[in-house]
Amino acid sequence: MAADVIAEKVDYKEISCQSCGANLLVEPQMLTAICPYCASPSIIQRPPTENRPTPVFTIGFVVTEKRAVEAVTNWVRRSSLFAKAAFRKAVPELTRGVYLPAYLYNAVAESTYDADIGENYTETETYTTTDKDGNTVTRTRTVVKTEWRKLRGRHVSYILDVVVTASKGVSNPALEAVEPFDLRALRRFTPKMIAGWLAEEPSRTQDECFQFAHGEAVEEVGKKLKGFMPGDSYRNLQYQTNVSQESIDLVLFPIWTFAVRYDESKPPVQILVNGQTGRVGGKVPISPVKVTIAVVIVLLIILAVALLFMAGR
Amino acid sequence: MSESDNSTIAAGIDRRECDSCGTPLERGDLRCAICGKAAPVLNVSVSNAETIKILRCTGCGAAVAYDPEKQAPSCSFCDSVFEVETIEDPMEQTEGYLPFTVAPDEARAQLQKWLSSLGWFRPSDLSSSARVQELKPLWWVAWVFDADARISWAADSNQGSRRSAWAPHAGTTEVVFDDILASASRGLNAREVGALSSGYDLGSAKDNPENAEDATIERFDVQRSQARKQVTDALEQMARLHVKGSQIPGTRFRNLHVSLVLQNLVTRRLSFPAYVMAYRYRGQLYRLVINGQDKTLLSGNAPYSMAKIAGVVGAVLGILILVLLMVAMTQ
Repeated sequence: MAADVIAEKVDYKEISCQSCGANLLVEPQMLTAICPYCASPSIIQRPPTENRPTPVFTIGFVVTEKRAVEAVTNWVRRSSLFAKAAFRKAVPELTRGVYLPAYLYNAVAESTYDADIGENYTETETYTTTDKDGNTVTRTRTVVKTEWRKLRGRHVSYILDVVVTASKGVSNPALEAVEPFDLRALRRFTPKMIAGWLAEEPSRTQDECFQFAHGEAVEEVGKKLKGFMPGDSYRNLQYQTNVSQESIDLVLFPIWTFAVRYDESKPPVQILVNGQTGRVGGKVPISPVKVTIAVVIVLLIILAVALLFMAGR
Repeated sequence: MSESDNSTIAAGIDRRECDSCGTPLERGDLRCAICGKAAPVLNVSVSNAETIKILRCTGCGAAVAYDPEKQAPSCSFCDSVFEVETIEDPMEQTEGYLPFTVAPDEARAQLQKWLSSLGWFRPSDLSSSARVQELKPLWWVAWVFDADARISWAADSNQGSRRSAWAPHAGTTEVVFDDILASASRGLNAREVGALSSGYDLGSAKDNPENAEDATIERFDVQRSQARKQVTDALEQMARLHVKGSQIPGTRFRNLHVSLVLQNLVTRRLSFPAYVMAYRYRGQLYRLVINGQDKTLLSGNAPYSMAKIAGVVGAVLGILILVLLMVAMTQ
């Protein structure tokens, strides 16, 4: 890992501050820069390319830095009992508030599906049993049985507002942990919205993001189909989905990112805060020792109960 | 930018359509409300070279930065706030008023006619002694929409059933919905809207209500986003009705699921004329609503004659007892 990081040369871009003339080094995927000498917020506009289109929308920060820090501190303290003790005591370090690039994907999904649909019916059957006097008797009872019928059909629906990350710094599950964003607050992108803040350009290719979005769309169709099946039950549901009328728009979402370093030998844990809603998400490191102790205690209790039970008989 | 775009800008009309599903976009829409596609940008400025700039306040020249407290870009020095195009969600406004073509006197006469047509179970003097207390012209509000829908459905029906009473069925169908009316009225109930809604001439809408001196003019009291939700709910309801009525085979069904996609959903917001009449019969108030363009379409309530109903019930019971007695006698 470490070797990789060193090998990956960052192609810094040199720009000069339009206010004081100082030379600044800017990472290539950044859309903004703040001059360290005069604090002037610069906006960098590049001609759009296929993998780096101009953002269409943005959602502005609502959560201030102070609120984000509070939210993360509380979240770390209240993290799972099984979290490593050092993690719960660690002080989260604010790295930055950043406008994260992500794609907003919409499409019409047309699917064909095959399934076995279970239709229940009741039958009266006779059976023999022994009554309390030990005699063999014949009785009747009604039982519910299921008849399986094949169903093949088509399903059309909208797939709306799938959000997939376009930044290599944040994975899809990490972004999902702080979703949803309230898309009613979308604004048309303008450089003014990101002035004074960090903003990234997409670092994943549009192809890769399309793949993600497509995968999520197919998953969503699966969920919808489950609710679409008639009958009392179903099994062997299989489907094929074609999408059309796809649209994919680059959106800059407000995210506060934090790093929690609880162990010098381990990489810090990334924690994100939704800059619109304040929702916190991150992966808590679980302490194997704590989990083992808990398992042992539970086993001991079961053993004790079993022993008591045996002794009682 | 295409030529048609230029001409709409020149005309100052904000009439755009979603590229993908043909649904008109309205002023303040950043995205299509139906399929989610971004609205095309009208003034695109594409720079071909990399530029670096500091955005400056037009008032004092200080740098502008986004401020989360104000939720807008703001000047750090003079506190000016800059507007950014955002999704607007205004209250719905009516686009036109259909004129009354039925005169108040005709409506009054229609009331008497209706009262005498109600049948034998009503009081005999209903038509003659009912007194109109009030006749109020009303413009009630509704959305009228057209859409092409592709509907997929699945349900159980008794057709083709074997051991179970049900067999699964599925299908797709395409329907053109034309001038479907979804009420936004608070004053009229669903039964009244159902009775009135068919007889209006939608092409006759005027910009202003005519002869509106003592009229009640309803307003839409929902925002655009809510209105769109109500319209799409109404569409889904229509789709279900269509599938129930003409698609599911057999005579009985259950577990109907419907999923649809739309093209060219066009919604108009209109105000419809009606007369609301209150009439009094033996101290009790009753209400009748009459379509303001077609007086035969109406919905109202009227009293029943308790004496007549009791008489009939008594007579039926008497006959039953007689029959029973006769049966008993013959045996």
